[in-house]
Amino acid sequence: VAGSLLHSPGPPVRRIWALLVSLAAGALLAIATPRGAHAQAGNSVRLEVRLTPDSAPRGARAPVVRSDNLLGDGRWLSTLRSGLPVRLHYRVEVWRSRNGWLDQLTRQVYWDVVVRHEPLLDEYTMLTIFGSRVQERRYATLDALTAALAFAYQINISPTEAGGYYYSATLEVSTLSDSDLDELERFLEGDLERARGREGIGDALGRGATRFLLRLAGLPSLRLEARTRRFAVR
Amino acid sequence: VRPLVGLLLLLALPPALRAQDSVIVIDPDAPAADSLERVGPPPEVVAELIEFYNDSTTTRVQGDVTFPTGSRFAGRLALHRGNLRIAGRVEGPIAVANGTLHLLAGADVRGDILVIGGRLIRAAGARHEGRQRVFWDAAPVALTDEGLLEIRERRRPIGDLAAARTSFQTGKVRTTLLLSTGGTYNRIEGLPILFGPTFDLRTGRRSAFKLDLRGILRTAGSNTRLADFGYQARGEFRFGRFGVAGEVYSELTPIEDHPLSPGEVGWSAFLLQRDYRDYFDRRGYGGLAWVQVTRPLRLELSRRRDDERTVRATDPWSLFRNSDRWRSNPPIDDGHYVTTGVRLDLDTRNERYLPSTGWLIQARFEHSSSGDVAPVLLPRLVRPAVPLGQRYAYDRIFFDVRRYSRITPSLRVNGRLRADGWVGGDRLPVQRRVSLGGPDLMPGYDFRAFTCAPSGFTDPALSALCDRVVSAQIEVRSRVGLNLGYRTRGRENQSRRFIGIEEADLVFFADAGKGWLAGDGPGQVPANRIPSFSEWKVDVGIGLDAGEIGAYIAKGVSEDESVKFLVRLRRRF
Repeated sequence: VAGSLLHSPGPPVRRIWALLVSLAAGALLAIATPRGAHAQAGNSVRLEVRLTPDSAPRGARAPVVRSDNLLGDGRWLSTLRSGLPVRLHYRVEVWRSRNGWLDQLTRQVYWDVVVRHEPLLDEYTMLTIFGSRVQERRYATLDALTAALAFAYQINISPTEAGGYYYSATLEVSTLSDSDLDELERFLEGDLERARGREGIGDALGRGATRFLLRLAGLPSLRLEARTRRFAVR
Repeated sequence: VRPLVGLLLLLALPPALRAQDSVIVIDPDAPAADSLERVGPPPEVVAELIEFYNDSTTTRVQGDVTFPTGSRFAGRLALHRGNLRIAGRVEGPIAVANGTLHLLAGADVRGDILVIGGRLIRAAGARHEGRQRVFWDAAPVALTDEGLLEIRERRRPIGDLAAARTSFQTGKVRTTLLLSTGGTYNRIEGLPILFGPTFDLRTGRRSAFKLDLRGILRTAGSNTRLADFGYQARGEFRFGRFGVAGEVYSELTPIEDHPLSPGEVGWSAFLLQRDYRDYFDRRGYGGLAWVQVTRPLRLELSRRRDDERTVRATDPWSLFRNSDRWRSNPPIDDGHYVTTGVRLDLDTRNERYLPSTGWLIQARFEHSSSGDVAPVLLPRLVRPAVPLGQRYAYDRIFFDVRRYSRITPSLRVNGRLRADGWVGGDRLPVQRRVSLGGPDLMPGYDFRAFTCAPSGFTDPALSALCDRVVSAQIEVRSRVGLNLGYRTRGRENQSRRFIGIEEADLVFFADAGKGWLAGDGPGQVPANRIPSFSEWKVDVGIGLDAGEIGAYIAKGVSEDESVKFLVRLRRRF
């Protein structure tokens, strides 16, 4: 895979090389906008993060994260009905504003929601994975699943030190294969013995190929970002 | 950054309310608790639903049913699976199992409403007199042949529904049968096929026993020492944070774990007849004990006895260049080795494949000895002659420290420091020697550009001969929209599918490293010294990483190297 085209010099190889370099350069030049800038545009799925009301004595406020309309975007419903699990990976970060210098990441929290359609039961299973705690729920109707996917999450990670802060939230929605799902659960459950490579027996070749083909086949993936306005802790 | 431990839902709300509550409160600082919680409607309410539905006086309907404006119904009404739309008048209780109840404008319902497994959608102008209970979670019910409801057995959790294996429970023992590839393709065994059962026995609340039996069927290599069949068997007992394991094995082992991952090596070998690893045959047995100190930290002590033997490359098929010759597999120092090792793993990454924050530290020390080593003859500059008939022993250390950081919401900086090699005793056997150069650690240089082979020493296998290597890597990543492909439209002109790669990480990177022979000879570095940074080789590069595939351009700047183009099927590190 790696650089093999370059190991034996010769005119045909040089032409291929020139073509590849041109393609790579073209791809780089084609980059016009940072991903985050248009993450929310052009997609019907929305991510919002807002602050809880300013009721704490020192002004500390917690973030409330909510995604909306995931199933309104037909891609994800189609993916679910094709039998592929959909993973929603949420991450909330606490950033400290520092005037005249790079902002500082002070803390982060993340959790996963994995949804899968079980065609024999015509039900949707939703796993919510918080660290080593896993919650499984099942929904029989799209209405109920849609409502459940629109749950808001209030994260109690308010900063305590004085300063200016804001929250940044990221939602990555992707398609999983069965082995991905299995491994995700093991990793999040802290099964490092398996996660550090022993499970590679039988998985690595197929998993990489599966993931690559899923991506190229047009199965969707989506990344949304949102952030709150700045608030001050006194 | 605080590791993810102990995120908990606040469970103070009564269960009936939690199902519909639209705000979930997460307290990251709550005590950690391992659990799988299966949430569903209260059993007594499900029983009530079944009793209601099966009552002979109940009018039962299925699918989508509408009571139009002006209609009137009196009695007990139940629906299973579908949408019950009411715009008229209903006098009596209503139950809905795994469906949605719509009270449309003008609806007038006089009776209790029970919905399990769906929602109640009520329009303005709809009237309801009576108790209302709604549970979004699915009712675990199924329809019998007689059209009645019964409790349905809960299915396996979705994590168990893996396609390549099947599991079943017999008493206390859970058995999983696996059939899969060996995760790679190489010039020694072709495509290894793995198969066999795993038995899990939960012996107590905090203890479990596991027996893993694997047969390895090799599709190449029948004319070499390596048999067509290998095996791995491992028994493991866990008690809380502690565990012990014993294993026996006959398997093919790579000499170095770089410059590509097993999956990448497999694709490279299968497609291009380029196998970027070397291997030896390892048969033996061993035991280990470990403690999971905290969720991210694990310590392990192991001891094993291996019979390590040279294997020859065979000629498995490849898609391209099939008529080329494979690079030969180097001979190793055959013998029986007894190895005692200590290992530390610290993993605070937030993700395994695409981490953005956290540490990954792997370190191990091993002492190995042999009484019957049959050494390969190496140039004296590389290794003094190993005296035959005497005890041969060496110490080796390895560490790999990786740090993943987000310095702004859209910018990440990752770093890696890796070292491997001899630290004491006799000099390393061939199968423990190291090298640098290639896509993983030094992509700006050719594969095995630095093997420490003395000038004039010709070796078609390009064997790794260094005593020690050290490397450092740094990269800066920023997510960018790429849109390499095209977008299709669904039937209703709303489902837009992107064929190709929609976004990727733009990666700037630099790598530095040095491989050397320890000693006082020409070109060697004294055993008690690490080469100064000015002696290291450096490369720089840029690339696009779409997660499952990445393309990079790299150039070595310490020597007159040509620009290298690389394709990776995983993150650099």
